[in-house]
Amino acid sequence: MSVEEKVIDIIAQKLNLSKDQIKPEASFVEDLGADSLDLVELVMAMEEAFGMEVPDEDAEKLRTVKDVIDYVKSKIGDQ
Amino acid sequence: MSSRKLPKLKIGDLEAEIPIIQGGMSVGISLSGLASAVANEGGIGVIGAAAIGMLEPDFKTNFKEANKRALRKEIRKAKEMTKGIIGVNIMVALSDFEELLLVAIEEKADLVFLGAGLPLKVPFEALKNSSTKVVPIVSSARAADLIFRYWAKHYNHVPDAVVIEGPLAGGHLGFKREQIDDPRYSLENILPEVISVIRVYEKQFEKKIPIIVAGGIYTGEDIYKFIQMGADGVQMGTRFVATHECDADVRFKEAFVKCKKEDIIIIDSPVGLPGRAIKNKFLEEVKAGIKKPIRFLWKCLKPCDFKKVPYCIALALTNAKKGNLEEGFAFAGANAYRVDKIISVKELIESLLIEYEKAASV
Repeated sequence: MSVEEKVIDIIAQKLNLSKDQIKPEASFVEDLGADSLDLVELVMAMEEAFGMEVPDEDAEKLRTVKDVIDYVKSKIGDQ
Repeated sequence: MSSRKLPKLKIGDLEAEIPIIQGGMSVGISLSGLASAVANEGGIGVIGAAAIGMLEPDFKTNFKEANKRALRKEIRKAKEMTKGIIGVNIMVALSDFEELLLVAIEEKADLVFLGAGLPLKVPFEALKNSSTKVVPIVSSARAADLIFRYWAKHYNHVPDAVVIEGPLAGGHLGFKREQIDDPRYSLENILPEVISVIRVYEKQFEKKIPIIVAGGIYTGEDIYKFIQMGADGVQMGTRFVATHECDADVRFKEAFVKCKKEDIIIIDSPVGLPGRAIKNKFLEEVKAGIKKPIRFLWKCLKPCDFKKVPYCIALALTNAKKGNLEEGFAFAGANAYRVDKIISVKELIESLLIEYEKAASV
């Protein structure tokens, strides 16, 4: 599974959405209806799935699905 | 048959004679005076830490140091005035959250109550090496689960107790505006959900994690109801404002005595949260868009966009604490209109005990 697929998979699961609703440009709060707790949940799930640490100051900048995909790639390398 | 007497509240090795926690109220509403009075009656007294340094002369120039110094002073004063249990309430959203938490630990506060945000990243080593207990304040089972799961994973440890603050509380609320009057989010509905979350962690970590309810609890009968529902204790704020020992100016307390039901309103706090307060001229001016000049330009709360907010809430609350309600306002719980006189902490606790016993013997 590519990084993209894995990220979208996690978002779909955590936010209770179908995968085709999750476009790269979608913003978590405005488009996907995430609240502050969802955002923390997502960061925790990403940390677990990709075995990385996401500092708060980085997490604050992750607004869209694409932001997360790019961030994960930059942290773990494009696989 | 259940006991007619109020049960004790045990949090780890701490044991309060009565399961009543006085909610931490900032700015400057609950300091050493009120906290020690409650602790002397067998409850848990709590100092509100947010912007506590507003009462120091050098606050404008030395904001963070003033906060730390004032908190240290109040904990020491409280401990001189009581042998009872003293806690500190520290908002997670404060820009100096960690610094104030470290002061509370150094001064051996018995507990810290951490709300207005999720206490995930905490100075765990310092906490572990201290006797200070950690009690997060949550407004949903989801938040409780998230905090406990995070702690279990990162610290292999979980908080010592939890406070559930329902939508009838005063001050900043952990709910969206539309949830406040929605019965699905009532404290009565959230409590059983939090209990089932916490039971899992109690089992996993083999320790009792007391659950304390807050928000709108007014009488001993209310306390009885929630204890019967499975709560281990209650946290109350509004009732303690209307006491002689409360650290606010008497004009602040009188605002509670005078207010009517329709005066208790929900405002949009400039820090982006709804809050419950007593309506006054200041708040009407804010609502009408008449901006109050901002005199201080620092960020005491992480989410505060201090260049854009219509007024500085820390300053407005400090003015109110000092009795200047022309340039400030009072946060208050949904039942504040029921307050009809100012009494002593001792009288308040006695009346709560009598009401509790009466409810328990029906």
